[in-house]
Amino acid sequence: MKVLACIKQTPATEAVYSVDNGAVSWDVPGGGKPNVINPWDEYAVEEAVRLKENHGASEVGVLTIGSDAVEESIRTAIAMGCTAATRVDSAAVDGSGAAGTARVLAAAIKAEGAEVVLMGKQAIDGDTGTTPVMTARALGWTPLTFVSAIKEVGGGNITVERKLEAGTQTVTAKLPVVISVVSEINEPRYPSFMGIRKAKKAAINVVDAGSLGVEGAFGAGSAKVDWASITAPETKALETEMISGGSPAEIAAILADKLIADQII
Amino acid sequence: MNIFVYVEHIDGAVTGTSQEAIAAAKRDLGGTVTALAFGSAANDAAAGAFAAGADSAIVCTDASLDSGLVEASGPLVTSLVQSKSPDALIAGASVAGRDLTSWVAFDLDAGLISDVTAMSADGGRITATHPVYAGKLLSEASIPAGVQIISTRSRAFEPLEANAGASGAIESVDAAASGLSTEVQSMAAASAGVSLNDAKVIVSGGRGVGGPEGYDPLKELCSTMGAALGASRAAVDAGWIAYDHQVGQTGKTVSPDLYIACGISGAIQHQAGMNTSKNVVAINKDGEAPIFKLARYGVVGDLFEIVPALNEEMKKRLG
Ligand SMILES: Cc1cc2nc3c(=O)[nH]c(=O)nc-3n(C[C@H](O)[C@H](O)[C@H](O)COP(=O)(O)OP(=O)(O)OC[C@H]3O[C@@H](n4cnc5c(N)ncnc54)[C@H](O)[C@@H]3O)c2cc1C
Ligand SMILES: Nc1ncnc2c1ncn2[C@@H]1O[C@H](COP(=O)(O)O)[C@@H](O)[C@H]1O
Repeated sequence: MKVLACIKQTPATEAVYSVDNGAVSWDVPGGGKPNVINPWDEYAVEEAVRLKENHGASEVGVLTIGSDAVEESIRTAIAMGCTAATRVDSAAVDGSGAAGTARVLAAAIKAEGAEVVLMGKQAIDGDTGTTPVMTARALGWTPLTFVSAIKEVGGGNITVERKLEAGTQTVTAKLPVVISVVSEINEPRYPSFMGIRKAKKAAINVVDAGSLGVEGAFGAGSAKVDWASITAPETKALETEMISGGSPAEIAAILADKLIADQII
Repeated sequence: MNIFVYVEHIDGAVTGTSQEAIAAAKRDLGGTVTALAFGSAANDAAAGAFAAGADSAIVCTDASLDSGLVEASGPLVTSLVQSKSPDALIAGASVAGRDLTSWVAFDLDAGLISDVTAMSADGGRITATHPVYAGKLLSEASIPAGVQIISTRSRAFEPLEANAGASGAIESVDAAASGLSTEVQSMAAASAGVSLNDAKVIVSGGRGVGGPEGYDPLKELCSTMGAALGASRAAVDAGWIAYDHQVGQTGKTVSPDLYIACGISGAIQHQAGMNTSKNVVAINKDGEAPIFKLARYGVVGDLFEIVPALNEEMKKRLG
């Protein structure tokens, strides 16, 4: 059984943004790394590695669509335990929209011959969370989203727990599947020193999307959504009123009065 | 504008997120709303959808749709959209709603705007606001051609006033989901208490609560106020409280009317999950904590003194 983790490189969670004429740029105050593996994808990588360690997966690949600037994130995934890496160069994929990206991922997944694909529940740049189901559709595989535990893999089946609003659902599905994970699923490991050394030297297979035999439209002009404008929300000038003086009971009484007077409660 | 709204329900009771989606379609877009309700209790859900503002409903009462799995609902919604050509398909951005909108958008090669917080329509085309980069930026998007598929963020749209006597035309369709590759084994209901997604008030505790038992006074305030219990990642990582409660960039995104942050410093990743709260009260020992920048009211003090006192006051007023 071959497992693949799909990762995207996204801005660091501490990033501070600026928008100039619709172009977004960001910076990390204090000079931290501006880009990281999408936080949820770290959980996907960790779970993929655990499938090898605990459930006998033969190979754990990492797959991304991105420019060469994302190789740092790929190497982090290798350092965590991925045994192979593929980067589909994004030059021909940029502008695809969700469905086009899914079609390219699907073609790359097929080429790798994986049976279990792990993704994050969403990428923190676009914050959409549509890729896992769309990729499953492009492959004709079963989507299993918001997975919080993998219970069993074997005999052509996988049993997982999913976090739904109403509770935890346990489902069994036939392989192959595309899974999206929530952060409850595991605690991603820190790469070991050995892992980091290995990752530095590891070969990354770079693929041109045009050579993958993608079915359907992708790339510039294929998106169905027009993201006409992107802006920084106006920060509402918020006057914070500090409530002080008196005993905790007096403070609480003033606060309760205010919340009621404002019709907040 | 004809709008299909996918109605999620629990044994016929329409979820808050679906009521909001109906309200958004009806009020914000001025649409004629057809509710899509599936499963054994679909007729009850249709009645709930009418009460929430839907004009008509398409139901399928086949029990094969009870699971709510997208593998079952996806093909049915796809074929309904294909045969009836609504201008838009809207669902709440719950797990099922996200799954469904992604499925149908891919299968119909249609545009999808996820997790929107505001919408308007002009001449049958929708402009929707979708927060990106953890809510630090806003994008305005539209779908120039074809059916417009949209999911609405929980609590971003006010539901309409419930009209229990409302009714509408119901069309029943005969369809069964077969050959599914997924089987539901069990469903464990979420722990009792108000869920963060629908809560009007959230009382949230961070590292300042000091340990698992530090949540006790917060839980009491929750029960007095009918509030849901939230937490920072620091408290979740320490094992004091279950991940289900985590608010933030790698937890839940919440937009209550009131968010009471107790012993939470207000790190940027925490803010990402709660900065759309309509009002914030911060209770923190450290007057310099960044959380105060988001707060309408702030109290510099010990949460173990302030929270119980607030609970007593709230009991007096709400009791
Ligand atoms: C990739 C990534 C993702 C993350 N995702 C999230 C996320 O989803 N959610 C999240 O919350 N964080 C997240 N974080 C962590 C975040 O950066 C902070 O570490 C975390 O939010 C801090 O939690 P805290 O405010 O409870 O703790 P602290 O920052 O330690 O703050 C505790 C506060 O309690 C106050 N305090 C102490 N005792 C008392 C008392 N008795 N009474 C009153 N006040 C008291 C202190 O003054 C202090 O301000 C993430 C971090 C990273 C790197
Ligand atoms: N360019 C990409 N390359 C590889 N995986 C991706 C890419 N974009 C999205 N994904 C995967 O899809 C998940 C959901 O992304 P999104 O639908 O963009 O929110 C991410 O967490 C990744 O696992």
